[in-house]
Amino acid sequence: MKKKTRTRILQIIFGVVVFVIAILPVYMIVSSSLKPTLLIRKMPPEFVFEPTWTHYLKIFKQGSFLSYFKNSLIVAVTSTAVSILIGSLAAYGLAIMKSDWANRITGFLTFSKLLPAITIMIPLYVMLDKVQLLGGFVGVILSHIAINAPFTTWLVLGFIQDLPQDLFEAAKLDGCTRMKIFWRVVFPLLSPAIGSAVLLSLQYSWNELMFAMQFTSMKSYTLTVGVSRFVGAISVDWGQSSAAATVVMLPIILVGFFLQKYLVSGLTAGAVKG
Amino acid sequence: MERGDFLPFLLLLPVMLVVFFVMFLPLVYGIVISLFDYHMGDLDFGRDFVGLGNYIRMMQDKVFWKSTVNTLYFTAGAIAGDLFFGTLVSVWIQSLNERIRPIIRPIVTIPLLVSPIIIGLIWKYMFNINGGMVYWILSWFGLGAEQFPGLAGSSTAMFCAIVAHWWQVIPFVVIVLSSGLVSIPNDYYEAAEMDGASFIQKFFKISLPSLMPQYMVILLFNGVDAIKVFDIIYALTGGGPNNSTMSLSLYAYKNAFDHFDMGYAMAISNATMLISFLVFGIVFVRYNAKARKEGIKG
Repeated sequence: MKKKTRTRILQIIFGVVVFVIAILPVYMIVSSSLKPTLLIRKMPPEFVFEPTWTHYLKIFKQGSFLSYFKNSLIVAVTSTAVSILIGSLAAYGLAIMKSDWANRITGFLTFSKLLPAITIMIPLYVMLDKVQLLGGFVGVILSHIAINAPFTTWLVLGFIQDLPQDLFEAAKLDGCTRMKIFWRVVFPLLSPAIGSAVLLSLQYSWNELMFAMQFTSMKSYTLTVGVSRFVGAISVDWGQSSAAATVVMLPIILVGFFLQKYLVSGLTAGAVKG
Repeated sequence: MERGDFLPFLLLLPVMLVVFFVMFLPLVYGIVISLFDYHMGDLDFGRDFVGLGNYIRMMQDKVFWKSTVNTLYFTAGAIAGDLFFGTLVSVWIQSLNERIRPIIRPIVTIPLLVSPIIIGLIWKYMFNINGGMVYWILSWFGLGAEQFPGLAGSSTAMFCAIVAHWWQVIPFVVIVLSSGLVSIPNDYYEAAEMDGASFIQKFFKISLPSLMPQYMVILLFNGVDAIKVFDIIYALTGGGPNNSTMSLSLYAYKNAFDHFDMGYAMAISNATMLISFLVFGIVFVRYNAKARKEGIKG
């Protein structure tokens, strides 16, 4: 009995520590974004204070964060939509392919995961420069699709392979063409996989920095690029950079929170399939 | 199905085109340009060709070797902590009541959704000597910047980057391991309890061996992710102090966009790829061979 209470207490202490470590850094940034500048560096932190919107007004009115926000939205939504569409079509293609090529192509797509982004980014920068596509949205959207579409293919393929084979046979007997089978039978059943792919692609594209930083220009800077410009400064304005960081992380945390189910199933797919 | 069945290839075409033009072509182009002394602008095939010159220069570049050691140190430290703390947290979550578990998970997974550049910023704030939370906590134990110079010390800055990485990646490890733990049949544990096995024994004899596939996945995905580290360090230290946190990706980036020394930058980024293949290629090949044997039904 005594040993049990002791384990209980240990469990609770450990839980509190985990909880605090997971939440506190995010809380500190969000609260700093609402604090008057003088309070930001005060330790121990004030938990009760009068919130101020100065930092937000500065980044939205004097800075260009409204346009960065719009640009991030354009990049993330476009690259995700295209990745999902072409990725799930490719997955179906692999699933109905009967030759050995299916395995080889799947292996090749997974292999692309081993490629460091920098190895592609530098030559791609030179190539985009040659065809004068630097500075707009094309380069950054294309590079996000190149990362997300193979990932979607791989994720959706796993789900299609788990569907019962009878389903395909039955639809074929009903005289459906293979494309009809995809749109009427397979695609509607894929919603969990699509959900995961949408969330993880959005998350990647919204948060990505390296491609965005070099491939965009003043007019097409995304949010992460906006934040990186604060970080590079010699003395960091913590009020404004906290506000900027909050603007970047809060939307995606909220989306992830409500789509938690898809987040977990997407991330574990690899582990389970392995 | 039969010969000349084009539909599957047609469906694959868009993805293959993107992979070809945005991954494969730049990769080949990068290997070619790394043989030239190229600084943007026009390339003169005769005049600018240096053969393996960039690679020889790289071999003699102290900063390159430092970046390599730093990157490997970061990767090893990151993975070791990810696995250790990730295992601890997932075993803890597993030990909880089934009604509490679904509430804990969304909270623990928050860091996973935060952009790496923001993570760098957050931890720059936490490790700030003036009013950073870490130094406030250290001061309880009578420690300060002298004992732990943090981001300003060339011996400690990389450790700070590793901590920031842990904070982001451990939630991923927890999600993957938890899914593995749930799938272990309860009978195993009950049988072990009958034999009087302790908690520790149960963990090492039952949980750990059954989690091997999950550890493999984590090693592959996180390892590759750690070896190409860029954003966190870019935000946290920018590679300093004294190049002590310079990673390979960051060093290639700096050569490309601070000095526009494109040929040399591509040589470094190609070396980064080679190192990633050498370190994780073996893990990958084994993982893929296994997936092929068990997974693909066609």
